[in-house]
Amino acid sequence: MTAPSRELIESAQAGDRQAFARLVDEQYAVVFRFALTWCGVREDAEDVAQQACIKLAQNLGQFRFESAFHTWLYRLVINCAKDWQQAQGRHQRERLHGESAEQALAQQTAQGSVETLMFLQSVLAWIAQLGEGFKEAVLLVLGQGLSHKEAADILNVKESTVSWRIHEVRKRIAQWQQDSGSGP
Amino acid sequence: MTDKQNAADAALTRALADAQDTPVDAGAKARAIDAALMEFDRVQKKNTESHQGFWQRWRPTGTLTTLGHSIMELFQRKWLYSGIAAASVAVLTVMVAQQMQHTVVAPELDGAQVPQLNGERRLAKKEALELAESEADYTPTEEVIVTGARLALAKEKGKGKEKPASPVAQQLPAASVVASDSFIEIPSQPQGRDDFEHVDENPVKRVVDSPVSTFSIDVDTASYSFVRRQLNQGVLPQKDAVRVEELVNYFDYDYPLPSTKDTPFSTNVIVSDSPWTAGNKLMHIGIKGYQLSAAQKPKTNLVFLLDVSGSMNAPDKLPLVKQSMELLLSQLQPDDTVAIAVYAGAAGTVLEPTAAKDKQKILTALNQLSAGGSTAGAQGIKLAYQLAAANFEQGAVNRVILATDGDFNVGITNREELKGFVERERNKGIYLSVLGFGQGNYHDHLMQTLAQNGNGVAAYIDTLSEAQKVLVTEATRNLFPIAQDVKIQVEFNPNTVQEYRLIGYETRALAREDFNNDKVDAGDIGAGHSVTAIYEFTPLGGKALIDSPRYTPKNAVTEVEAGPDQGNLLNSEYAFVKLRYKLPGAAESRLLEQPVPPVNTINARTRVAAWVQRETDFATAVAGFAQLLKGGKYTGDWSYDDALALAQASKGADPYGYRTEFVQLVRKAKMAQGL
Repeated sequence: MTAPSRELIESAQAGDRQAFARLVDEQYAVVFRFALTWCGVREDAEDVAQQACIKLAQNLGQFRFESAFHTWLYRLVINCAKDWQQAQGRHQRERLHGESAEQALAQQTAQGSVETLMFLQSVLAWIAQLGEGFKEAVLLVLGQGLSHKEAADILNVKESTVSWRIHEVRKRIAQWQQDSGSGP
Repeated sequence: MTDKQNAADAALTRALADAQDTPVDAGAKARAIDAALMEFDRVQKKNTESHQGFWQRWRPTGTLTTLGHSIMELFQRKWLYSGIAAASVAVLTVMVAQQMQHTVVAPELDGAQVPQLNGERRLAKKEALELAESEADYTPTEEVIVTGARLALAKEKGKGKEKPASPVAQQLPAASVVASDSFIEIPSQPQGRDDFEHVDENPVKRVVDSPVSTFSIDVDTASYSFVRRQLNQGVLPQKDAVRVEELVNYFDYDYPLPSTKDTPFSTNVIVSDSPWTAGNKLMHIGIKGYQLSAAQKPKTNLVFLLDVSGSMNAPDKLPLVKQSMELLLSQLQPDDTVAIAVYAGAAGTVLEPTAAKDKQKILTALNQLSAGGSTAGAQGIKLAYQLAAANFEQGAVNRVILATDGDFNVGITNREELKGFVERERNKGIYLSVLGFGQGNYHDHLMQTLAQNGNGVAAYIDTLSEAQKVLVTEATRNLFPIAQDVKIQVEFNPNTVQEYRLIGYETRALAREDFNNDKVDAGDIGAGHSVTAIYEFTPLGGKALIDSPRYTPKNAVTEVEAGPDQGNLLNSEYAFVKLRYKLPGAAESRLLEQPVPPVNTINARTRVAAWVQRETDFATAVAGFAQLLKGGKYTGDWSYDDALALAQASKGADPYGYRTEFVQLVRKAKMAQGL
């Protein structure tokens, strides 16, 4: 995940088709993988990634080098992912997944054999229903390995908010674990 | 509990990390890039268009402070919410995008943007997906071939800023883009004034009514390059810009070289089934000229006539012209000569005839050129011919190469006058080739006319790789004619064929009597050139488009009633093909004749050499595609997908990637059509 050179971005902004093609080519993996952690399904992630690339074409001109390119790019992908989610009307399905997330997490920790993406999807669905912004924070910090500060920049919130969200998620996962551990 | 917490955390982190290692699907990536590029082109185009409108005043300028921005934001937000946004999608896009620049996470505005654009976007995606599905062996390497060549070439020249790209974008030095924190001023560029002649497609003809079809061959390729340029920008070309024969002849076909030196070219007539109309057949007439060895190449005296008027002041014009001329220079023998004349407000000689071995001198002269002023094209042409005449050598190739965007707005602007002038010079032995550049103000018709009357080639150069094709790869064929005034006359047999139509060659039609008249000018074939013409015909008994007349003369009735006589070879032939050509410089033409018996037919059941089926199929795919671009009057249900499949299957070795590029273009046309 190397940041594209300023020169490349500027050429693309100036309308250089080749430069833009290269930019998308270089950044596609970052976009796709983030989308994958968001959606949990390859086909959906590819849809979102494509949408994000289209949006990149529309909005690249507005990037002003006031933040790191990736900060800006993540915002764009998150927006696309949210759009997609709304369009798909996935809320119901997520809630259903949420119920089984507990089981999935137990299985994963116990055996580590459940298909990773399925597991991720159900856990993230569960995280998402904890509240607004939790899923984003987890994906950026735990998934993309960004610092709390970087994630906060992307999400336009205070650093402490990100820290709190991550902490909250960890706390609840633990709680959950404890419950399921003591349960049947 | 701590252990468990760690375990749960670890599982989540591990799962997230695994997702980060997921390999990217190349096909999905390619689709995303394609879709993004399409959007990119659309945005670039829109920027230029909306720039001219009233709404540009609403854009904040670079002098605004942060406060100014936020006021502007509020202001725009108000406009958005009040519903005026619905008035224009284009304006809305710009404004929303503008608004988003400082508060990028703005879902509510995103939402506002979605309804208008979603339809289009989804469509694009759907198209892209369908396309990818329909073409199983699509790989992203194709894209690399198409675009990579240009990049590589541009780099090779070490002039990054001159590399060809969209005209709008390239006009801005990158620095100015960053400096102003606002909308960027784009110099106005003539748009949509490309001039094409409208010609009706050749109609279907009844063999009984007019059994003979006559035309001149055409070796121009300009139409293909123009079409490609349009499609690369995500729009379908205007129908008049598509000349079927030029698309077909853009590609080199692997017909056998002539077996003897007596005739300068081989003639191959192949009949295949029409893919778009069941029961119909296609008759391909393929001509291949012999190849000159280096030693056989005649001495060449070239005069570059370069347009340096103000309209050439675009990165895809004058800089590309210079690079193209440098490429051409590399193909010359040391004792060949080059002179350079330019024209703008006035015409002038930049370089007296200079031997090609004095390369540095020529390059220096080329590089000093810059664009400005109006265009006195006619004066320039006269000057160039004077230079050529001063350096004229009998037996050598004396040729003027005109590079222009076709905007002749000063001096003699009368086309007929120019045409007559070029014709007279041709008869003296000085030929003219025309290289077209740029877009927005391209006078295709004039370029065509000049090149046709000057025994030359009209090519349209949109990229450096196209310059490479025309001036390096195919330099011999474009410089050295081996047969001149090549005319084809086909007589169809009413005993076997009901109807026929010539696909393309509308601008090259000749009268029946012109065939034997050596005074009538026609197209030339260069060394190693291949030319293809395709007829579609309905055999007797097939579904005819034209009703038989109720009343026929008595003698004709008996003829039809007699029907095809199986025992008589003459009566089973489909057609009789005649060719006339002149050797370079000769006044008298020679005649070649060839019957087309049914045995020339190829289809799935016949066993023929691999090249026959492959080359025939590819030519068919290109001809079909071109007809689709022209509206598909005769192609029935045949679609871009069919063109794609047929071309994909018959790409062959494709050493220069031209056919692969064609496959790309078909895909782009399909996408553009969806929008």
